[in-house]
Amino acid sequence: MPLLETQGVTVRFGGNTAVNQVSIGAEEGLITGLIGPNGAGKTTLFNTVTGLQKPTEGRVLIDGTDVTGLSPAKRAKLGLARTFQQLELFLSLSVRDNVKVAGDILRATTRKRVDLDAETDRILELTGLTDIADRDVSDIPTGRARVVEVARALMTSPRVLLLDEPASGQTEQETEAFAELLTGLAEGGLAICLVEHDLPLVMRLCTVIHVLDYGSVIASGTPQEVQQSPEVIAAYIGTEEVA
Amino acid sequence: MTTFLTFTILGLVLGSVYAIAASGLVLTYNTSGIFNFAHGAQAMLGTFVYWQLSVGWGLPVWLSLLLVVGVFGPLMGLLLHKLIMGALRDTAEVAKIVVTVAVMLGMVYLSQWIWDPVEPRTLTMFFGADASVEIAGVVVRVHEILCLVVALAIALGLRMLFHRTRVGVVMRGTVDSPDLLRLNGHDPARVAAFSWALGSALAVLAGILITPVSGGSLEANALTLLVIDAFAAAMFGRLRSIPPAFAGAMVLGLLGAYVTAYFPSEWSWTGNFRVSLPMILLFIVIIVLPQDRLRGAATRTRERYRVPSVRAAAAWGLALVGIVFLYSLLLADSGITTLGLGMAFAIIALSLTVLTGYAGEMNLAPLSFAAIATVIVFHFGITGTGLDATLNLPGIVLAVLATAVVGGLVALPALRLRGLYLALATLAFGALLSNMVLRDTVEHTVAGFTFTLFPDGTLIIPKPRFGPVDMGEPLTFLLVATALFALISVGLAALRNSGYGRRLAAMKDSPAATAMLGQNLVKLKLSVFMLSAAIAGLGGILMSSGMGSVDGEHFGIMASLALVMLVVVGGIGYISGALFGGVMSGIGFTLLVGTFNDLAISQPQAATFFQLLGNVVMVGTALIGMGVGKTPSGSVQGIMDGYRSLRHARPVLIGGAALVAVLYVLALAGVYGSWTFSLLAMVVVMALPAVGHKLMPHAVTAVEGHGHSGQDEIRDDEPFTDALRDRLDLALGLPARVPGVRAAAPVLKKGEEVNAPA
Repeated sequence: MPLLETQGVTVRFGGNTAVNQVSIGAEEGLITGLIGPNGAGKTTLFNTVTGLQKPTEGRVLIDGTDVTGLSPAKRAKLGLARTFQQLELFLSLSVRDNVKVAGDILRATTRKRVDLDAETDRILELTGLTDIADRDVSDIPTGRARVVEVARALMTSPRVLLLDEPASGQTEQETEAFAELLTGLAEGGLAICLVEHDLPLVMRLCTVIHVLDYGSVIASGTPQEVQQSPEVIAAYIGTEEVA
Repeated sequence: MTTFLTFTILGLVLGSVYAIAASGLVLTYNTSGIFNFAHGAQAMLGTFVYWQLSVGWGLPVWLSLLLVVGVFGPLMGLLLHKLIMGALRDTAEVAKIVVTVAVMLGMVYLSQWIWDPVEPRTLTMFFGADASVEIAGVVVRVHEILCLVVALAIALGLRMLFHRTRVGVVMRGTVDSPDLLRLNGHDPARVAAFSWALGSALAVLAGILITPVSGGSLEANALTLLVIDAFAAAMFGRLRSIPPAFAGAMVLGLLGAYVTAYFPSEWSWTGNFRVSLPMILLFIVIIVLPQDRLRGAATRTRERYRVPSVRAAAAWGLALVGIVFLYSLLLADSGITTLGLGMAFAIIALSLTVLTGYAGEMNLAPLSFAAIATVIVFHFGITGTGLDATLNLPGIVLAVLATAVVGGLVALPALRLRGLYLALATLAFGALLSNMVLRDTVEHTVAGFTFTLFPDGTLIIPKPRFGPVDMGEPLTFLLVATALFALISVGLAALRNSGYGRRLAAMKDSPAATAMLGQNLVKLKLSVFMLSAAIAGLGGILMSSGMGSVDGEHFGIMASLALVMLVVVGGIGYISGALFGGVMSGIGFTLLVGTFNDLAISQPQAATFFQLLGNVVMVGTALIGMGVGKTPSGSVQGIMDGYRSLRHARPVLIGGAALVAVLYVLALAGVYGSWTFSLLAMVVVMALPAVGHKLMPHAVTAVEGHGHSGQDEIRDDEPFTDALRDRLDLALGLPARVPGVRAAAPVLKKGEEVNAPA
């Protein structure tokens, strides 16, 4: 059973259907890809899964529990974490404090007692941020800022991690290190859902890929299957029709 | 039946005027994203100008009307847009609010400067109060019919504008996507300018129409607040849509009229309730309306605050107590009392530092919490009577705790609100409290208890005495207040450096991301609101006991807004900002204006000049507030940064300190007075950074340069070296070059280098 699952999720804004009957899942220890052209509804789907957006129809389940009516904070408590396509870093805090504050929240809202400083250092080390730990988060390049978002999410010890275009703005070297990090995290049992425009990266990392177009899933399968799907080719390259 | 009809018509008339005002508000909000707190003040100013033209100078009514609504109003709107509001896009909500509040206060001060408030002025109805027709047995004045007709015409006109004209359609799109408009060849700035002009004209028209209906007398504060009542109407359309705003305006007008008609007039609070009605509606509408879903930071704001360590805060606190003590030795008792009062205000200001500066939430009515604590301590915290009366500690503690609870209760319904909506909810609460509680001067009996909330409109609050510490002594009061300020400041510094403080900062920067980390935002907001209310309550008790007797005016919404503005001017994220804002709003005004007035009286030949200076101080402060859009982090810290660079120029610092010490000793010896000393010391301190640059340029610049030397970003003022070029190539993924080859290659200009295919 997938750790995270959507069942027939539909989101309508007025007459506009942004997400249409989407039923997909993310499994423990695997990286699941979610691709599609701009405006396909990927971020809206993420917002619905995390509770920032109410679905018009459908359900969201984490580990079999229906969380459709729960607040983002409650979902986070069940092990859901995400990064944002448009960076949502805490600009008044340093890189270290951006990560540490996730632990602060954990400590204040649960009975978990962790050594915050040690745990923060461990996550910073793991994500390769130690060298810039004490810099203002607004001073670092976008590529590394995206890694800070991942580090912050990891600090909550999540079971499911949703990544919204984490590699955009990264240099080739950074992407390489980032791919390694994700593989390692998945091997550790994390369920990762990856929205990304860097298709070679997605093809390399993901076990299953879902392709979204105009809010609907038009193809699902292994990277090979998806690459050969005529619907996917049409969606990406366009059909003869001229819009 | 006649009563019903009469009041229905009255309600519709009031509703029409609210509708006109509200539509102007919606217009400017939609095209510029700025909620214009100065809308009421614009109406007020326009009405005064109209009075000046038609009554003061005796111009014909039609000409005056044409000049004011057709020229003055639009021009005022255009100027506001060009000079102030246009630059506010991409600033934080706090800055937007404070700037328009500053404009509002500035306009009120300006009008009081030009039109001496002591002199009564009235506006009569158009066509006279006697011109009327009888409809179904009800006498309706022509002026009232005019209001209805004008509102109807405006409703139709706006509808035509939005749906039939190109500029109207463009206006509807401006706020949603200015960039898209720009791509399509429209100029959002021009559209915004047009809507500011139109909105301003509508405000002025509303002011001129409503003044005769509501009694006819012109009073700057009252008239400004009258149009603020239209906020509630605008909120019916979520500030976005004009038709619901018109409907809301009618509801508002009719409800007000029916309350006057049918609530028993022997109920003492009917009048107060009637006055508070718009604010009650505003509060309800804000809370009931669906909210925008949780978002991240809407704009990347420019404010950055340096966080002090607890040790630094403690050192500064000690220094402050020391300096205040030394300075007090120069002052007479009256001066010491005034300064003590300033410290009490500074403590109230600290409530904003934690709430707005740390947590990013707004409270436009900090003095309302000061008022709540004052009322509670008046009822439960006084021991003894007459001259022996003192405030007791349990009473103070109770009042502070109760204020925290009330703060929480007030905030609870508003907690899911953010930014502007929360600010408006607190404004409504503040106005409600001023109207209902602070004017509640009659006896009530509830469940056998007989009490009067605000007896005689004035509360006598004695000063506390703890054993040997008698705060009745002005110096003791001052030192205790200063020490409390320092203590709370250190506490806040510790708080900001703790996990709780980091969580507040996170919530401020990105509510969405904070929620996604598992933080329950409502709980966090509630806690910080309660903390803030408690601090404001404590400061309020000190303020009231420092004054000795307080009335409702001391806690009014205008005073609250002035405090908020000055704290933001000083720097909302900094303790120093609270100190500046509190002292300025608590005593700065009174002291400066009072000093100039005294001078005017003592030197009659220069009286006009000194009165002018007094007015300049008032308007000038508002002008500084309008500058917040450019310096959103506040001005005090900017000044402090000038001294940071002096850290390594020790001799300059020591020399400056020695000079101030000599000046101080001379003042202590009575060579000159405290004012002269303050002035001289200020000059010396202000001149230090410049002196440092002149005398020890190396020490100073070394520190200034230190900031970025260890960092690895490339600054545009650095020479572009080969090492940097290689790093840039690396970052862009260009093939690496062999350094030796580069040296042999012909020197290319930078532009060519960039364009050359890699």
